[in-house]
Amino acid sequence: MCAQPVTNTKEVKWQKVLYERQPFPDNYVDRRFLEELRKNIHARKYQYWAVVFESSVVIQQLCSVCVFVVIWWYMDEGLLAPHWLFGTGLASSLIGYVLFDLIDGGEGRKKSGQTRWADLKSALVFITFTYGFSPVLKTLTESVSTDTIYAMSVFMLLGHLIFFDYGANAAIVSSTLSLNMAIFASVCLASRLPRSLHAFIMVTFAIQIFALWPMLQKKLKACTPRSYVGVTLLFAFSALGGLLSISAVGAILFALLLMSVSCLCPFYLIRLQLFKENIHGPWDEAEIKEDLSRFLS
Amino acid sequence: MACRGGAGDGHPASATLFRVSPGSLYTCRTRTHNICMVSDFFYPNMGGVESHIYQLSQCLIERGHKVIIVTHAYGNRKGIRYLTNGLKVYYLPLKVMYNQSTATTLFHSLPLLRYIFVRERVTVIHSHSSFSAMAHDALFHAKTMGLQTVFTDHSLFGFADVSSVLTNKLLTVSLCDTNHIICVSYTSKENTVLRAALNPEIVSVIPNAVDPTDFTPDPFRRHDSITIVVVSRLVYRKGIDLLSGIIPELCQKYPDLNFIIGGEGPKRIILEEVRERYQLHDRVRLLGALEHKDVRNVLVQGHIFLNTSLTEAFCMAIVEAASCGLQVVSTRVGGIPEVLPENLIILCEPSVKSLCEGLEKAIFQLKSGTLPAPENIHNIVKTFYTWRNVAERTEKVYDRVSVEAVLPMDKRLDRLISHCGPVTGYIFALLAVFNFLFLIFLRWMTPDSVIDVAIDATGPQGAWTNNYSHSKRGSENNEISKTR
Repeated sequence: MCAQPVTNTKEVKWQKVLYERQPFPDNYVDRRFLEELRKNIHARKYQYWAVVFESSVVIQQLCSVCVFVVIWWYMDEGLLAPHWLFGTGLASSLIGYVLFDLIDGGEGRKKSGQTRWADLKSALVFITFTYGFSPVLKTLTESVSTDTIYAMSVFMLLGHLIFFDYGANAAIVSSTLSLNMAIFASVCLASRLPRSLHAFIMVTFAIQIFALWPMLQKKLKACTPRSYVGVTLLFAFSALGGLLSISAVGAILFALLLMSVSCLCPFYLIRLQLFKENIHGPWDEAEIKEDLSRFLS
Repeated sequence: MACRGGAGDGHPASATLFRVSPGSLYTCRTRTHNICMVSDFFYPNMGGVESHIYQLSQCLIERGHKVIIVTHAYGNRKGIRYLTNGLKVYYLPLKVMYNQSTATTLFHSLPLLRYIFVRERVTVIHSHSSFSAMAHDALFHAKTMGLQTVFTDHSLFGFADVSSVLTNKLLTVSLCDTNHIICVSYTSKENTVLRAALNPEIVSVIPNAVDPTDFTPDPFRRHDSITIVVVSRLVYRKGIDLLSGIIPELCQKYPDLNFIIGGEGPKRIILEEVRERYQLHDRVRLLGALEHKDVRNVLVQGHIFLNTSLTEAFCMAIVEAASCGLQVVSTRVGGIPEVLPENLIILCEPSVKSLCEGLEKAIFQLKSGTLPAPENIHNIVKTFYTWRNVAERTEKVYDRVSVEAVLPMDKRLDRLISHCGPVTGYIFALLAVFNFLFLIFLRWMTPDSVIDVAIDATGPQGAWTNNYSHSKRGSENNEISKTR
């Protein structure tokens, strides 16, 4: 590479090397400057409908929160009998439990090694404890003002939505924190209900909608995407309907929120993707792509 | 030629120099500069930036400039110290925040730095390293005071994550009104130009240098069996994880192969695990932290030098190794391909497979005797990078900068606002105004005329050696410049 035919042509070509003294000033800018610059090599091309489909996870969670609050309102007003809610909840839980195994043909169960007996045991333990402690739950927050309880529940439900695991690989995601916040909100709200049976059924319902329902959703989404879309739509409409029966304005606002999350946000994402300018070049830190742990096992 | 060494070393060296064909490269240099090097990183801290500042300063002193260094206090070491040849170092009592870098408020250091700049009659501020908060502070204050500024960037930075987005923005602010920027390799220049959105014309490339007299080969100390040497800090960015894959792979293939690994760091544990797992205690030696003076003695024991860095602006280690006559195998990252010619280095992709192939090629060449003798490699490499050359080229930057105008306050504000984006630009323009008002307040408190003028230790009227009168020293300077 040092043997450039300098004698033939008068002009000396600039080389990107440091070890040779070249007849150029130190601040010389060659035509080859930045020629190895690459842009957006890892940028993903998004399809509009694929993004809309992915946004359904957010829709589902928003609706879960909405349904939970609506049910609580009905209970608080005395329009919904706790027995009825318990019965429906139990029935839908059983259906969901059967579906959970049917969707993937029992493969997930085999992998995790969880027996039905263990499921039954944990369900029984949970129900017994919640039932036993429901009088305590009922009186737990008596000394706290109702406004504080409402404010706390709002913040906890918002926190639940923020920290929920929507499938993004980010530091902020924490499904345990998210679930804990939701349960805390449910305990807060349950303590404002008229009787301890109400409180027990409210907390049980919270577990069903915030802990069990997302698990089933995940499986539905992975195995049968079509039915998942159907379920999402059904769920969204029922949440909207429930809200409409309480407040028309609230329902309209909620509908707008859902529309913007599922239609407008994906549109913006794709539009903004055009402005993406991710720069890569020889200065990037190299990535170790291999799995090096094999040398130590 | 060495610029380091005991006191008075510089003068005999220059005396021997100007016997060599005077007038061969006549450069007419009339002016000298009062240069202030500012960085958080200086001795007793060890590293590339530290030795760069020291060696460059020594060579600039030799060329007749006045040089002082400003850094923060290191433990007990505070106040003023004089190093070889009257190099004056200010260790300022500023709080260290993280990784030997001081905290920055953009204001608290102004009284101290202004006092130093005035009493030393500094004309050029030369800041080093983008990781040093003090360097950026000094640039900011120097611009407020109307001094010329130069900045040397020693590192590469990505663009992808949040932290780099923030630091790149700060670099944009810091460099948008700096007179000249120096980078250590062409890749580093591209990186800095992109990071700080600069005009490439004001960015010079001046590589680092290695003192070839410190890194001489010694074929008699080589081990009989083939030895691969690694000298680096044992951290992720140096690719130690790759090394942990290479060692078992090659040790199984070549029963007569040995490794010597010098350096310390958090990744040492995985090398020890590998050594344990494959029972290689007699073949992989971990030496722990090395002092710079011991590096040569480690290097000459080996035949092949391996560098597994994942990012590198200018790799000094491979030049040092080549200067000791070793065959270098390295990853092809950052500025490394620019550093050594193809016949002295085997470049590989940063993966275990590719590096193993490169090492096997080197081992094959070694066994078949097609590698050049260490002495020959040394003789080639020693011509590549010298500190005198670096100093000469840096001096050209100072000459160029010294005739440029420093932006007056109104232009500086315009530049900040137009260059750094609407939000950051206005914030920093406001800070610049505050800085200026603070300076006026300080000037009112202690006017420049009240501040004592320091006695120069170095420079045209340097008091360090009384052997030369002013005129004699001046003529000697001319003689030195004539020889280059």
